[in-house]
Amino acid sequence: MTAEVQTQKAQVLGVKGLVKRYGDHTVVDGVSFHIEAGETYGLLGPNGAGKTTIISMVAGLIPADSGSIELVGSAMTPASTRVKGHIGLVPQELAIYPDLTAKENLLFFGRLQGLSGQELKGRTAEVLELIGLADRAGEQTKKFSGGMKRRLNIGIGLLHRPTLLILDEPTVGVDPQSRNSILESVEGLATEGMAVLYTTHYMEEAERLCDRIAIIDEGKIQAEGTRNQLVELTGGVDRIDLHGSGNTSAAATALRQLPGVQHVDGGASGLALTVHNGPGLLAPIVAEAGRAGMALTSVEIVRPDLESVFLHLTGKALRD
Amino acid sequence: MVANDLRQRIRDKSVFIFSLLVPLALMGVLNLSFGGFDTGNVDLKPAVVIASSEDSGQLGAALLEAVDELPVMDVTVRKVPAGHVSRETKDTGADLGIILPADFTTRVTSGQALSVQLVEGDAAGVETNVLISVVDGLLEQFSAGTVTAEAGDIAGLPHQVLGGLAQQAAAGTPALTLSEGQASAEQLSLKGTLVAGQTGLFLLFTVGFGVLGLLAEREEGTLFRLQSTPVAPGTIIAAKALVGFVLGVVATTILLAAGSVLFGVSFGSPAVVALLVLAVAAAATSLTFIVARLVRSAEQANIAQSIIAMVLGIAGGAFFPIEASGFLAALMDLNPIAAFIRGLGIASGGGDVADIAVPLAVMLGFAALATLASRLLPDRGARA
Repeated sequence: MTAEVQTQKAQVLGVKGLVKRYGDHTVVDGVSFHIEAGETYGLLGPNGAGKTTIISMVAGLIPADSGSIELVGSAMTPASTRVKGHIGLVPQELAIYPDLTAKENLLFFGRLQGLSGQELKGRTAEVLELIGLADRAGEQTKKFSGGMKRRLNIGIGLLHRPTLLILDEPTVGVDPQSRNSILESVEGLATEGMAVLYTTHYMEEAERLCDRIAIIDEGKIQAEGTRNQLVELTGGVDRIDLHGSGNTSAAATALRQLPGVQHVDGGASGLALTVHNGPGLLAPIVAEAGRAGMALTSVEIVRPDLESVFLHLTGKALRD
Repeated sequence: MVANDLRQRIRDKSVFIFSLLVPLALMGVLNLSFGGFDTGNVDLKPAVVIASSEDSGQLGAALLEAVDELPVMDVTVRKVPAGHVSRETKDTGADLGIILPADFTTRVTSGQALSVQLVEGDAAGVETNVLISVVDGLLEQFSAGTVTAEAGDIAGLPHQVLGGLAQQAAAGTPALTLSEGQASAEQLSLKGTLVAGQTGLFLLFTVGFGVLGLLAEREEGTLFRLQSTPVAPGTIIAAKALVGFVLGVVATTILLAAGSVLFGVSFGSPAVVALLVLAVAAAATSLTFIVARLVRSAEQANIAQSIIAMVLGIAGGAFFPIEASGFLAALMDLNPIAAFIRGLGIASGGGDVADIAVPLAVMLGFAALATLASRLLPDRGARA
C-alpha cells in the first residue's frame, strides 16, 4: 500500500462570486479564484475586461455589490483597516509624490504601513537597493525617468513585506530595458514566499511570470489554469506555415492525405496546415510538398499560445 | 500624513505665492490706490478768506476769529468792505468770501432772522469745503442764541437779560458733548480694513491647499495607494483638513503681522486676534468640505473655491465696506469674512475676548453648519 502525500500551501486570497455593477452595466460578473502563498496568479485580459475593478475590490478600495473576499482568513472590505496591512498595492498609474525624494516616498508609505525606527530605515535601504535607486535616493522623483518612477512605484508596494502583492499592469508605458528589470524583480518575489496578483494584457508577461492564469473578458473568467492547461483548451493543435512557389495546389492535395494533418489552407505563395504534433510531422510534410512540385523557401511551426487560447475562447484577439 | 503634506506644499512653493506674496502685493496696490483717503492723510493747503467787517458787535468778530484760528489748516482772513468781498475773492483767487450783515451781532442777540452770504473762490477745493463746513457749524451754534432769545421774549424777560442770554448761548460751550469710546468703535481704518479684508479673502484660497489636495491626489493616483494602507477611515480627510487649517492659520497670522508693519495698522490684543484667526480659519476650512463633496476634479474645485472666495470676500468687505439693510444685512452678518473684519475692528479699538463673542460665534457657527451640510450633501466621488 502506498501513501500519497499531497502538499498544500496556505491560501492567501480567496475570492468568491464577486460582482460589481455601475448602473445597468455589470463590470465584474461572478468572479471566483484563489491564490496560495508563493504563487503568482495572473489576470490576463484586454483593456476594459474588469481587471482593475477586481483588484480595487481585493485591495479594499471599493466595495463589492455581492460576493466575498477573504485575505489570510479575514474578510476584506473598504473598512477592513487591519487586513489592509497584508496588502501591497502597485497601482497602474504612478502613485508617488513628485516633490518628495525616493527615500522620503518610501519612508512616508512605510510609516503608514506601521513600520518605524530602525526597521523602517533598514527596510527602506533594502528596497532602494532592490529597485536600483540607492544612489538616487535623495533626489526628488520629479527628476526621475519613467522607468525609475515605475521601479519606485513597485518598491513602495514591497516595502512592508506584504502577504499579497497586487501589481496592476506594472509595465504599461515602460521601455524594454526597465520592463525586463521589473519582470525579473517580480520573478524573485514568489521565491520569497510572497503571493502575487498580477494583471496584464501582455500575453508574454503572463506566460513568463504566472503559475496560474485567469483569462478574463467582459467581467467574467473565461478559463483558469496553468499555461499548459489553458493551451490544451485549444485542442493542442499546431500550425505549420509553408512558404514557396511551384505547384502549391498539388502539394495541398497531397498533404491533406497525410495522417495527422487536419486542415490545409492557402494559395499560390504558401500553405497553412493545422496539425497534431507539428514538430513530429514536419519532416514528412516537407518531403511530401517537395514530391508534389512545391519549391519551399521557408517553413514555420506556430505553437498555440495564450493569444490562441483567448481567440479560441472569446472569438477576438487580445488587444493593446 | 500632515507633516508629509506640509513638506510638499512648502517645496512646491505655490502656497507662498498664492497665500502670502499675492495678497501682500494686492494690499500694497490697494493701499496706494485708496490709502490716501484714510483719516489724517489729507494735507490741507493754506487758505485765504475775504470777509466783510461792518459788524461792530462781538459775535461777528468771534466768527472770523474762529475761522482764522482753525487748528486743521492755516487760514488767513482779510477784512474788506462788504461790497468788495465778491470781487476780491475772485480777483485774488481766495478760497472763500464771507459777507456778514452790519447788524450781525444785534440780530443774533435779539433773536431776529439773519443771513450770511458765502462766496466760493474760482479755485474752490477741499479747503473751501472745509471752511464752509466750519462757518456752517459756527452759524448753527449762533442760531442757538437766536432760539434762546426768542424763548426768553415769549417768557417776558427784559431785553437786557435777553441779550445776555443769547450771547451766552451763542458763544458758550454746549451742555451735551458726544465722546467716542475705543471699544465701541468696531471700525478699522481704511488701511486696516484693506489688510484684514485681503487676509480674509486669501485665507479662503489658502485652506484649499488642504482638503482640495485630495482631488489632486486622486488624479495623480496616490489617493488609491493611501486608501489601501491600514489607516482608519476618515484619517485621510482629517489630515487634509488639518493641513488646510494649519496653512490658513499660519498664512493669516503672517499677513496680519506683515500688514501691520508695512501699512502701520494695529489690530489690538494678540490673544484676541489669535482667537479670531483660529475661528476664521475653521470657518474657511469647513467650506472646503462642501466643495470637495460637490466637484469631481481639482480643476472644478479650484473654480468653485475661487467663486466662493470672491463672493464671500467682496460681500464681507475685503475690498470696500458693503452696506445693506433688512434680510440682506442679516445674511451678510453671517459671512465669516465680515465677522472676521468686524472682530478685528473691535480688537483694534481695545476690545477683549468678551467683546468679540458675537463675531466668534458667527465664524464657529458657520464652521459647524458647513461641516454638517457637507455630510448631508451627495458625494460625487471626490472624498476619501
